[in-house]
Amino acid sequence: MAVAGTLYTYPENWRAFKALIAAQYSGAKIKVLSSPPHFHFGQTNKTPEFLKKFPVGKVPAFEGDDGFCVFESNAIAYYVSNDELRGATKETAAEIVQWVNFADSDIVPPASTWVFPTLGIMHYNKQATEFAKEEVKRVLGILDSHLKTQTFLVGERISLADITVVCTLLWLYKQVLEPAFRQPYVNVNRWFVTCLNQPQFKAVLGDVKLCEKMAQFDAKKFAENQPKKDTPKKEKPAKEEKKQEKKEEKKPAPEEELDECDQALAAEPKSKDPFAHLPKSPFVMDEFKRKYSNEDTLTVALPHFWEHFDKEGWSIWYAEYRFPEELTQTFMSCNLITGMFQRLDKLRKNAFASVILFGTNNDSSISGVWVFRGQELAFPLSPDWQVDYESYTWRKLDSDSEECKILVKEYFMWEGDFKHVGKSFNQGKIFK
Amino acid sequence: MAAAAQSGLGAEELALLEKSLGLQKGNKYGVQGERKTPVLQTNNGPSLIGFITIAAHLVKQAKKEQLLGSTAEEKAVVQQWLEYRVTRVDGCSSKEDTRIILKDLNTYLEDKVYLAGNSFTLADILMYYGLHPIMADLTVQEKEKYLNVSRWFNHIQHYPEAGHMCLIVNFSLKFCDLFKSCRMDLDFSANMYNRIRYSF
Repeated sequence: MAVAGTLYTYPENWRAFKALIAAQYSGAKIKVLSSPPHFHFGQTNKTPEFLKKFPVGKVPAFEGDDGFCVFESNAIAYYVSNDELRGATKETAAEIVQWVNFADSDIVPPASTWVFPTLGIMHYNKQATEFAKEEVKRVLGILDSHLKTQTFLVGERISLADITVVCTLLWLYKQVLEPAFRQPYVNVNRWFVTCLNQPQFKAVLGDVKLCEKMAQFDAKKFAENQPKKDTPKKEKPAKEEKKQEKKEEKKPAPEEELDECDQALAAEPKSKDPFAHLPKSPFVMDEFKRKYSNEDTLTVALPHFWEHFDKEGWSIWYAEYRFPEELTQTFMSCNLITGMFQRLDKLRKNAFASVILFGTNNDSSISGVWVFRGQELAFPLSPDWQVDYESYTWRKLDSDSEECKILVKEYFMWEGDFKHVGKSFNQGKIFK
Repeated sequence: MAAAAQSGLGAEELALLEKSLGLQKGNKYGVQGERKTPVLQTNNGPSLIGFITIAAHLVKQAKKEQLLGSTAEEKAVVQQWLEYRVTRVDGCSSKEDTRIILKDLNTYLEDKVYLAGNSFTLADILMYYGLHPIMADLTVQEKEKYLNVSRWFNHIQHYPEAGHMCLIVNFSLKFCDLFKSCRMDLDFSANMYNRIRYSF
């Protein structure tokens, strides 16, 4: 007896495709609810009734006509499959589960990291993307050698393994795997295209156009997506509906996106630029840092700093460690400073600091001069940055004042009277 | 059995195809001319002459028209391979001919799972029959060399329409243990076996 029921999802959800394709093979009758008024992504799935049936509140979620409820896309696809798709023997069934899990654990994370920025639903991070590309190559290599002698992933027929892995690779093939990139993986390409052209796949996916040119980070789309964050796709609810719901929508949206991006975000935590809201500033921090690193501080870097510093876009702060009496061994105090720098890694682009340890063992103090993007302390902008800053007192300096000029000069040069400290210079650390 | 063997390879294959397609009643095949062209005498119509003609007729009789291709292009490609089968594969008489066929096919199948379009067709079935003796004669190294053909061959032999009576040549994994998993059934396998042994 064929399964029948309702699948809740947002439109064009590749995870839902797995179940829909499986149903094409098995003859399961699935009604899809993906858009208002029946299903409003981000809202319907947060209602108490929905959560009662599907405690995780994620989609896709499947509700059988007989009342049976199941969430997690692979479980749904399994449920709506027939025996051939699931694997007839214990061994083939195990191999199928193997590939299904491989798709989730080895393909989804790098695919998300690489593809989401190109769809404008996640911020771009060059390092993470390059790493993801290498991962994708590795995965394609594994699949390619497997498919050298195999027509399909398991046995000689299409199974849930093929359905799952094809759907997981779908965005990669659509967005970024341009011909030159995918060309070495002939066996994967052959298998992928053959699957896409099966009538059961076509019924769900339509005509899939393979990537012709590798999509790059879509900054504009990303910016557009930021305020509304409705769904990861373009699907927009009716305008008037939107206005009245705007307030509530803002809250659940980031969690929803997390559903889709969870893996990617795990690979690249909080990659969203916390300074994105600030207007552009003419002061180029990197330029100053280059001068500071490569040229004489007094004659080149400092004049450059004061010449280009933009007090609208940036601010200068004096920070002093609150608990000097707890500082014992100087090497430990140094670790305190460098540890803080490490935790602030993501802030580097938007800050510069010189922090100095004064005095000797059991009689020392730490203080520093910080330059940040914006007029506020940057630390509250990201949870990663909040570990250390409360151990310091922060005083914003008036960049036009004489005091500020002296502090900047002394701290940037690690030289001078440091009159306010009363201890001699021990060592300095630069955050750049 | 001896009579069947004498009636020519084409007739034997057609009988196998007929059975694999699930057609119940066995047709009687004759041969005609020096080339032993198979002939099918239908009950209420003219006799059908020629391997491809009869094969296509059987497919229609079995109501499996999709095996002849679904789009116009696909149908044309199916025909192309049937022709290739009869002219090139059946006409192949030397090691060199075999090498060329395998090389061409191997290149063709690099980016394809099936000979025509994206599904299993009569072209796959009849090429599979035609290549069976050739494949059975390959060394392990040659099978690895023509990897795409080997993969395709292995895949096709798992279709019920390709005929369970055939020797199942085990290509999975390392393409070794040839004949290990062969299944011999009825007269057909004996005929096939002779054919494989004596075809070179």
